[in-house]
Amino acid sequence: MNPRDRVRSAGRRWTDPAEALAQQVTERVVDLVLRALDLNEIVAHVDLNAILARVDIDALLKRVDVNALIDQIDVNSVLARVDPKPLIDRVDVNDLVTRIDMDALVEKTDLGAVIARSSGGMASEALDAVRSQAVGLDQFIDRWVQRLLRRKHPGPVAPTAALPVQAEP
Amino acid sequence: MSSTRPDVVTYQGHYAGSVSRFTAYVIDLAVSTGVFALALAAISFGVRVVTGHDVKWNRSSIVVAVIFVLWQFFYFGYSWAVSGRTAGMAVLGIRVVAADGSVLEPRRGVIRALVFPLSFLLFGLGFLGILVQREHRALHDLIAGSAVIYAWDARAARLRFLARQAELEAPAAQQPPLTLPG
Repeated sequence: MNPRDRVRSAGRRWTDPAEALAQQVTERVVDLVLRALDLNEIVAHVDLNAILARVDIDALLKRVDVNALIDQIDVNSVLARVDPKPLIDRVDVNDLVTRIDMDALVEKTDLGAVIARSSGGMASEALDAVRSQAVGLDQFIDRWVQRLLRRKHPGPVAPTAALPVQAEP
Repeated sequence: MSSTRPDVVTYQGHYAGSVSRFTAYVIDLAVSTGVFALALAAISFGVRVVTGHDVKWNRSSIVVAVIFVLWQFFYFGYSWAVSGRTAGMAVLGIRVVAADGSVLEPRRGVIRALVFPLSFLLFGLGFLGILVQREHRALHDLIAGSAVIYAWDARAARLRFLARQAELEAPAAQQPPLTLPG
């Protein structure tokens, strides 16, 4: 055996038990100190806001692997525990529908093509044009008549009763 | 191409104006006169087939005039009493309703047809109400307790217009750009 290794082996014979002893002593001391301390009282004295103010949350979040976290979540089991009925009951569908921009929807989706194919051809197009032009002229003439008659308050725009009139195609 | 105005959608149920009503009346006059002429021609043809004699209708004949007037009463009265609209009104998307906006009773439809000629008296002054009356009601409307409103679904028309626009633009957008040789 190498004389240097011999020295090392002899040293280890002394240092290993000493290290184990030191470990045991330290554990015992820490245990005694912890028992002696009232941790709740210490925690009560800690200014958590000051500590949190020193924490760089952004840096912390950057170190979090969100994908790994998500991978650990069983979405199906979460969804299975959700009762959709109360959620749906809380949704105001009418309000939701009024928020839809139908013009944009028709212009930007295939819905427009479906409507165009299902709503007649030249006849309905001509009818729409005639009707809308007539309404435009009606309003134009009406505005001029109101000016000529110097009416400050225009009359009612529609009959008072609710109209049970079926909309015409 | 149709040009359905976006603001037109708000007029459904509103009192109809003079142009829509006049245009509808012109169409009705053409339809009713055409149907009347066709009916006379059919009667003439039938009489000739059955008896072998030609029947010629004199337009200035009082009998023809009376039948024509009765036919006009029937055409307008029946249309208003049954559905609140004539063929011309259906084209323009307008409808006769009671003054309060409820569905017109058949009785009022008939009365409207009967008093309709009164609006022609005094150089058509009865029609002036359509222009100047706050609810656009003519003399015959005031007597019969009726009003005329827009009843067509301009919102659907607007969507149809947009849909057609989108469909017209779609193939143009899908075409590859034209490249010239050389």
